[in-house]
Amino acid sequence: MDKLIRMEDLLALSEWCYEIPQSFRSDMRVPARFFMSRKMFEDISEDRSLEQLVNVATLPGIQKAAFAMPDMHQGYGFPIGGVAGMAIDHGGVISPGGIGYDINCGVRLLVANATYDELKPFMEDIATRLFDAVPSGVGRGGRLKLGLDELDHVLQYGAKRMLELGFGTQEDLDRCENDGSFAVAQPDLVSKHAKQRGADQLGTLGSGNHFLEVQMVDEIYDEKVAETFGLHKGLIAVMIHCGSRGLGHQTCTDYVRVMNAAMHKWDYQLPDRELVCAPFLSQEAQDYYGAMAAAANFAWANRHMIAVWAREAFAQAAGAHVQLNMVYDVSHNIGKVETHEINGKQTRMIMHRKGATRSFGPGREEVSAVYRDVGQPVLIPGTMGTSSYVLVGTQESMDVAFGSCCHGAGRRLSRTKAKKLVRGAELRKELEAHNIIVRCDSDKGLAEEAPLAYKDVDSVVNVVQQAGLARKVARLRPMAVIKGG
Amino acid sequence: MKMYEQLPHTADIKIRVYGANKKELFKHALIGMFQVIGPHADGCKRVDGQLVCDALPIQHVVAIQSPDSEALLVDFLSEALWYSDVYNQAFLDAAINTLTETSIEAIIKGVQVSGFDVVEIKAVTYHDLAIKEVDGMWQTDIVFDI
Repeated sequence: MDKLIRMEDLLALSEWCYEIPQSFRSDMRVPARFFMSRKMFEDISEDRSLEQLVNVATLPGIQKAAFAMPDMHQGYGFPIGGVAGMAIDHGGVISPGGIGYDINCGVRLLVANATYDELKPFMEDIATRLFDAVPSGVGRGGRLKLGLDELDHVLQYGAKRMLELGFGTQEDLDRCENDGSFAVAQPDLVSKHAKQRGADQLGTLGSGNHFLEVQMVDEIYDEKVAETFGLHKGLIAVMIHCGSRGLGHQTCTDYVRVMNAAMHKWDYQLPDRELVCAPFLSQEAQDYYGAMAAAANFAWANRHMIAVWAREAFAQAAGAHVQLNMVYDVSHNIGKVETHEINGKQTRMIMHRKGATRSFGPGREEVSAVYRDVGQPVLIPGTMGTSSYVLVGTQESMDVAFGSCCHGAGRRLSRTKAKKLVRGAELRKELEAHNIIVRCDSDKGLAEEAPLAYKDVDSVVNVVQQAGLARKVARLRPMAVIKGG
Repeated sequence: MKMYEQLPHTADIKIRVYGANKKELFKHALIGMFQVIGPHADGCKRVDGQLVCDALPIQHVVAIQSPDSEALLVDFLSEALWYSDVYNQAFLDAAINTLTETSIEAIIKGVQVSGFDVVEIKAVTYHDLAIKEVDGMWQTDIVFDI
């Protein structure tokens, strides 16, 4: 199974797209296709992401190709940046590990009605208040303690429930993927174990690569679309990156276990047990899908509450006239039923995106009504020292990789390696020398997430645009970084 | 004999665990899972990067049945992770009373923690997990999603 992938095995479909043909390994059902510039090959030369992508290409019911986005790197089961669509009515499977443990980890972007120049005198205070208002790091519970009954409402209705409880605005829902609420959620299929893990974690960032960042819009590439998204040069923005916390982690763990126990029902030969899966129409898969949707709702409610507290922090520091308006919220670890054209036929698919977001173009009914004419916003965070980007989904992106795009810059160095190369205290000084305020109580945590641990986000976004996965709209520059440690 | 070592992994944490027998392998996997993320606990000290505590006052009984040894190890570690996440605890020892191919009964022993060095473990994965005997020693790799 562990056949070595060599450069000569790759077919260049274009300057930005490469393919490992189906003939590479006998168990592949489709080719494995990835988007990258040749210069970026070095970033994945020492990891096993391509082997993992080939493994994805063996899954039952997979259509067209197993795709990996330009931020691809080694994960478990799927590579990070992996996208796979399985035809539901042709034995297509759903794989919990192919969606990931942090169900509906995602990114939310808010934009202020004030510029950096206007808010500059308050930035230190804003950063401190954000750090205090939003619990981050390991073991810090949230400000909301939910009873199990109320938690069930959150799992059923997601961010919509938080609005009912008086938090946030209708616009927060209108500008969120799925309106912040996955209708197929079944809270009763989420275990008590999972609910206990999540009970005090609503409104918390967590640790690792999760962050809260204050940014400034510093470049506009598409004036018309930027206007629709509410982005203007000089405005302050807030980016939130986190997921479903322990509740999602446990839900995935639970259903990997369920599917492992049921695997004997289907004669699947899987190259990696982490790809354990079940036909989407089976009871096991339907149960997982309902539970996954409930965990996704928890993640939307989580980012919704963090946004609410970010607004409070801004108002307290700079005055109540400063508002943070929702731009969009994208999911990047999720499974969704979507219809895509396969060989000229509209085909119902269960799409897996793991470390990848949707980038749907204009006209798709899944895109929030306010953006349906232009396409959905695609949010690509960079690192604490580099730019982040807002892009827009296009019709071309629908054709290239089922309307999918990358979810970030993508790691290139392990945390251990990053810590060997970077001292957190020095990085903090370096960021501050570039007028980036840092609020993180762990130097080790900073070092692990240092910019050099990631691929060059400008190159990644360039590939995204050249490959037709999405089109650039605006660039954001970090001004304050708030991280757990 | 070392209990475990950390191996390179781009995004997550990967360890290789060793044991003279399967019981020890399971115990060392538990210890490795928590030591590798650097728990912080009052009254304990760090020796060569490992947390050393005079006493491990928190104990939970864990009894699990799974389809095979690999699943049993994942389920055992996942149960310890659940206690850790819900109650802010880290487990640095275990008394494994019975262990078969498909079942385990153990007491996991640990301390209350105020946090970990950097990351939290989200889950225990099956990726690269294969329990095998090499030159008379039991070993396996484990990848943790972080």
